[in-house]
Amino acid sequence: MVSFPALVLQGACGISGHMVMWVIAIVALTVFAFIIRSRIDLLLAGQKDPRFSNLKQRFRDLVEYGFIQKRQPRYLWAGVIHIMIFWGFVVLGLRSLDLVTEGLGFPIFRPFMHSPLGVFYNSVKDVFELIVLIACIWAILRRAIVKPKRYEGSHTLEAYVVLGLIGFLMMTDMLFEGSGILLTGEAQGWLPAAWIGTLFLPENNPGVLSVIFRATYWLHILAFFVFLNLLPLFKHFHIITALPNVFFRKQNKGEIKPARYGVDDIFELETLGVEKIEDFTWKHILDLYTCTECGRCTDNCPANAIGRPLSPKELTIKLRDHAYKKYPILPSSAANKQGEEPVPMVGGIIGLDELWSCTTCGACEEECPVFIEYIDKIIDMRRHVLETSQNPKTFNQILMFVEKTGNPFGKPAAKRADWVKEQEAGDVKILKEGDRVDVLYYVDGYASFDPQSQKIAAAIVKGLKLAGMDFGILGKREKDTGHQVRRMGEEGLFQVLVEENTETLSSIDFKWIVTTDPHAYNALKKDYPEPYKVFHYTQFFLSLVETGHLRPQRSADRSDLYTYHDPCYLGRHNGIYDEPRRLLQSIPELRLVEMAKSRDRSFCCGGGDVMLWHEIEQEEMRMAEKRVRMALDTGANVMVTACPFCLIHFEDAIKTGGFEDRIRVVDLMELFMSAF
Amino acid sequence: MNIIVCVKRVPLTQEVDLEIDDTGKKIKEDALAYVINDWDNYAIEAAVQFQEALGGEVTAVTIGNEDDEEVLRRALAMGADRAVRIDPGDLALDGYLNARILAKTISELDYDLILTGVQSEDQNTGMVGIMLAEQLGLAHAAVTNGVESDDGAAKVRVELEGGIDEVSRIQLPALLTIQTGINEPRYVSIMGIRKAKKKELKVMSLEDLGFAPEDLTPQTRIEEVFLPPETEGAEMIEGDPGTTAETIIRIMGEKGVTV
Repeated sequence: MVSFPALVLQGACGISGHMVMWVIAIVALTVFAFIIRSRIDLLLAGQKDPRFSNLKQRFRDLVEYGFIQKRQPRYLWAGVIHIMIFWGFVVLGLRSLDLVTEGLGFPIFRPFMHSPLGVFYNSVKDVFELIVLIACIWAILRRAIVKPKRYEGSHTLEAYVVLGLIGFLMMTDMLFEGSGILLTGEAQGWLPAAWIGTLFLPENNPGVLSVIFRATYWLHILAFFVFLNLLPLFKHFHIITALPNVFFRKQNKGEIKPARYGVDDIFELETLGVEKIEDFTWKHILDLYTCTECGRCTDNCPANAIGRPLSPKELTIKLRDHAYKKYPILPSSAANKQGEEPVPMVGGIIGLDELWSCTTCGACEEECPVFIEYIDKIIDMRRHVLETSQNPKTFNQILMFVEKTGNPFGKPAAKRADWVKEQEAGDVKILKEGDRVDVLYYVDGYASFDPQSQKIAAAIVKGLKLAGMDFGILGKREKDTGHQVRRMGEEGLFQVLVEENTETLSSIDFKWIVTTDPHAYNALKKDYPEPYKVFHYTQFFLSLVETGHLRPQRSADRSDLYTYHDPCYLGRHNGIYDEPRRLLQSIPELRLVEMAKSRDRSFCCGGGDVMLWHEIEQEEMRMAEKRVRMALDTGANVMVTACPFCLIHFEDAIKTGGFEDRIRVVDLMELFMSAF
Repeated sequence: MNIIVCVKRVPLTQEVDLEIDDTGKKIKEDALAYVINDWDNYAIEAAVQFQEALGGEVTAVTIGNEDDEEVLRRALAMGADRAVRIDPGDLALDGYLNARILAKTISELDYDLILTGVQSEDQNTGMVGIMLAEQLGLAHAAVTNGVESDDGAAKVRVELEGGIDEVSRIQLPALLTIQTGINEPRYVSIMGIRKAKKKELKVMSLEDLGFAPEDLTPQTRIEEVFLPPETEGAEMIEGDPGTTAETIIRIMGEKGVTV
């Protein structure tokens, strides 16, 4: 059995062949080390970020999302192309190593290659060469002809160069092996790619064949090393960084990162938030390296969809361009590394309204095939904006109210339980220190004070009573969880609220917390240090139905067609998709249809945080109106949701959009209680 | 330019059902949340903006107990350089005494400009700033809604009745009472307020200032505090514009207005 690479390097130019390979390899690897150094410098300059916990899950994710690439086919054809190329790379990696080690004169893979398994591998590799070649051509054509909108603003030239280079690698190997077969008459295994190669070769001209044989080998090797060096310069750095990025992914969705990892008391810090690139954690910098600019994030961003000045993809590209400029490959061009930066990163490169446009709905993160994080970065930058008083002035009073009264309306704390009387909810126990109760119902600010949301609270109370539950509320001792203020960037105030609420909760002996609001649910579950048993009302009431405590009797009107809108902090952030639907369907004869964008692709209503108090002027349509139109597309005449903010936004949009005679919105809890 | 800014901590009374205490002369204050007086917030911002543009130091002054230091910390977080709290002990205060105590405190400080809010949200008398100017023998401008530095003087815009503004030049040192809306006060975070603990905050007693108890007799006495009596409700006039207009004219006629 012959080794083709060995054949190239044999004979008259054999020794120099090895020499040439050594020179190529050393030069290429030196250049690569030089390039990668500045990338590593920046990573090391980043902040702490512990990402080594829960290793078992990390390895599972690596397999599921890294190797099986489960998120890729969410965009079917692009996903298929990507998986073809990715698996091609995995398989062909060994082939490349073999070609290079043979060239270096250390043919360590030769024994394997000449074994029966190696012959089988050779066939598999050949098949994958064809698969990768087809995928590259397909990908080039998609970009050139189909031009998907989500690639707008991406580095398309880089894509062409890299796809072309990969194709070139495949073709040179096909011709190399093809000419080898023709020269020696030996083929190791069934080699369809090499056979196709032979079709283009002058079969009966050994002289020319021999030249092609050598040339394609060296061109392949050169292309391989050029490719390696292009990776850290292009968006194709992800070929190196994507697997680590998936491995180190954020595991607790919905949670907001602390101001600084490893700091227990944030008040010991000099400053909060991210002002400059080094203030990001190393993982967030790795995110920047890993973005392939596929645009799936922006394609699913509700803020982007209604014309707000936010594109998650461009946010990453801008931060990366800035990072690369600040940490250049050639040190001399680091003009502004020290001293003042001419354009501030936050407020300059990243605009303030860009930061405030985000509703933290999480659609971008749900979609990203390599788990790039946006919410934490945006909140971290907001923290800096707020600490330096660059926040929208409308926040000043809201935050002051939350601090002083525990709610954003500035209503006196003493009136926090007035909704019970106003909504005629009957007797509700107000818990005092030392009380014992099964269910602590955490009402939160909106359901306490906003007349529309109060009705949800009243329905919850009615349901808890009907099921004979032992429950109570905190009354004036309850303060807002701080979900909003944390996402507005006021971390200090959030910490104060956590401290106060945790203390209040610790004075009561309860089994479970039930919340009105998915945001409060998320905050208590994810942002609070105590491991409370928290349930959103949809979960809690479903369990009451399924254990036979409650049975809706009154049928829904058959003329009504319902569609359920997944609130972001129930669905995407907490994976609660089925419970609300099952609770809905416990109502006899209820007809339910799904919107095209539902479950983890749900489209945000406008959000429960910043949007309530800050208007982004650059907007073509209200987010909620766009969502109402999606609901209308299903033919439904009732939108059901399970979050006070969704309810408020949709009600508003139905009125202002003039859809009142076509659709109405109802909270799931109120709807459920109407079935008794 | 060295600036003194006088601030006060006041209860947040929005939508609070105020209750009168047993003496009938005071409002029950224990259940109330306290904030910085809104006018004073603008005064601090104005002072800090001057300091940022022209240099110098800003000193925030308040009269109150330890809890009232909160508003000084806020002022420090907004950019004031130091703060002074005068502890009045159990002394009952009125606008006159506040002005006297502030005058004594400030007379020992170095200043070019004194800023106060137009009035305080709790008492709404609007006296302290003007009386303070008088006590210190300073020129003053009240209800200032615009101010610029003008070569050793200040160009000030004040609100007059009927929506008229008046612009004048005032020689420094002077005192200005600041109207809301003159600027956009910056947000100071909880973090910022905590950090401001590192700045100097001096506490002085009335004795430190050289006052004897008999010097400090209030000039006003509260006889009674009561909630405004409930009056009859409004009447909603319904119907088409023609009938509504007729009804309005009829009601006006009944009340003695001739059209």
